[in-house]
Amino acid sequence: MQLDNTVEVETPEHVRFRFRVAGPTRRAWAYLLDLLVRIAILLALEIVLVLVTGRHLRSAKAILSGGTLLALFLIEWGYFVFFETLWNGTTPGKRALKLRVVKAGGYPLSFMDSVLRNLLRTADFLPLGYLLGLFVMSWDSRFARLGDRAAGTMVVIEDPVRVAPPIALDPPPDPTELLAFPARVTLSLPEREAIELLLRRRDLAPARRQELAETIAPVFARRLSVKAGDPVRFLALLHHVAVGGQAKSSPAISAKVSA
Amino acid sequence: MIRTQDEFVAARKPTWDELDTLLARKHLLCRLPAASISRAASLYREICSDLMRARSAGYSSDVIDLLDSLSARACAAMYSAPPYRLEGLRDLVLAGFPRSVRRNARFLALAAVLFVLPGLLGFLGALRSRGFAIQIMSESMVTEMEKSYAEFGRGREEGADTMMASFYVYNNIGIAFRCFATGILFGLGSIFFLIYNGLLIGVVAGAVTAAGHGRNLFTFMAGHGAFELTAIVISGAAGMVMGYALVDTGSRTRWASLRAKAGDLFSMITGAALMLLVAALIEGYWSPSAVVAPVKWGVALLFYLLVLAYLLCAGRSRPGGRRA
Repeated sequence: MQLDNTVEVETPEHVRFRFRVAGPTRRAWAYLLDLLVRIAILLALEIVLVLVTGRHLRSAKAILSGGTLLALFLIEWGYFVFFETLWNGTTPGKRALKLRVVKAGGYPLSFMDSVLRNLLRTADFLPLGYLLGLFVMSWDSRFARLGDRAAGTMVVIEDPVRVAPPIALDPPPDPTELLAFPARVTLSLPEREAIELLLRRRDLAPARRQELAETIAPVFARRLSVKAGDPVRFLALLHHVAVGGQAKSSPAISAKVSA
Repeated sequence: MIRTQDEFVAARKPTWDELDTLLARKHLLCRLPAASISRAASLYREICSDLMRARSAGYSSDVIDLLDSLSARACAAMYSAPPYRLEGLRDLVLAGFPRSVRRNARFLALAAVLFVLPGLLGFLGALRSRGFAIQIMSESMVTEMEKSYAEFGRGREEGADTMMASFYVYNNIGIAFRCFATGILFGLGSIFFLIYNGLLIGVVAGAVTAAGHGRNLFTFMAGHGAFELTAIVISGAAGMVMGYALVDTGSRTRWASLRAKAGDLFSMITGAALMLLVAALIEGYWSPSAVVAPVKWGVALLFYLLVLAYLLCAGRSRPGGRRA
């Protein structure tokens, strides 16, 4: 179940960015992972304590339980603040789920923000299992629990985005195919966008792509009085011809980039 | 003139990648060399215009998302202060904490009343009847307390001090944090925990006194009490400041009114936690030591005066010189 949302943030230059804020499900998974990490740290510390104090001190037992309590305290109250401050708003669990805590304006959070939002976990946890936090979250477009609201923070998703590769004709167009088209083809912007969308989308099943192309291709074929063969291939060729003339005017751009 | 999305991406991708690598090096720009900072600033502006262009041209969502996240990262890296400074802690101890406490003196007074009155009530009640004490705490707990203070003063076995100090850190700071955090429920949680903890401490003191070990108990509690009881009252007060900010919002929204208090809340609760750390050390090592009672009372008096002087005077600007 995905319950994420986007919020828009305006910068000092009045540029608006969109952030994907994380919903309760993702955050719950991150919390569970962090819980496991905390338990693992505690167990590891305990083993170290046993090994270190076991033989040397008469009062090993007291030191041991003293050390355990101290570790318990630090992990219970300090774990999140420690990582969020050092790792700029992430913890091991948040990293695994690609989450980051940021200020509502998109800036990195400060130590103070981290302390407040994590101390208030106690209130969010009430009456048990973060029920109050969940309840409060459901009221907010940023999914802010009480701690987030007090500290003015939000949890955003940082999925690395990859740009789809350029549209390429495969196999490359052979001249005889292109001869069928008129020398100049003009497509309106929405038309071109529609064709690009169809050709670019990778998550479209081939059969579905074919099906969609079959409904669009005849429209253009009739307009240009060209015989459409395979509809997907036809649309790709059409796109190639329509934008092809402009591809030659790009030296100005590449000059600018290399400058 | 770039017309298609693919041409746009091909032409601009090197610029985006350059900014991406710059940002991957440090998440705060101020930590980069000067030349890289200026470079990043101009790249940032270019990318902002790319983003606007991509949006207006209606390019596909992957391009817009990429530019969105890249420019957002760049913006965050450019406009933010370092997340923590160690001098901040020194400033907090020397000035920030006592100032915040003084600024919220009315809440401190209220918290003190909410803590001390139930304490007195519990003390008197438990002193008069054991039945009262076991209404509040389980009978086994009361018996345990009475027993532990009967044998007090002979010193503990080696290592027990460390264990107890750790226990006090774990338990008392935990109580203080809970006392603070539940204040977000319009202050109700803090009020409850102040009354509850006051009552509990009062009942223990009353029951132990009734069993005839009052001298032991008060000698034990006197030293760390200065820090511990004050810190619990301060955390409760901080919780009530938080709750009250949600009720009386001035001209702000409820949450903006709370955020305006964030600085005070942070210094009060962090200061209280530090005081409890000091208290735990005293409670673990000094309070149970075999030092004679009059010396302990003298030191306790000194501690109280110290805490009072600190909260009243630390961080005040000197009459002559101006200090921010």
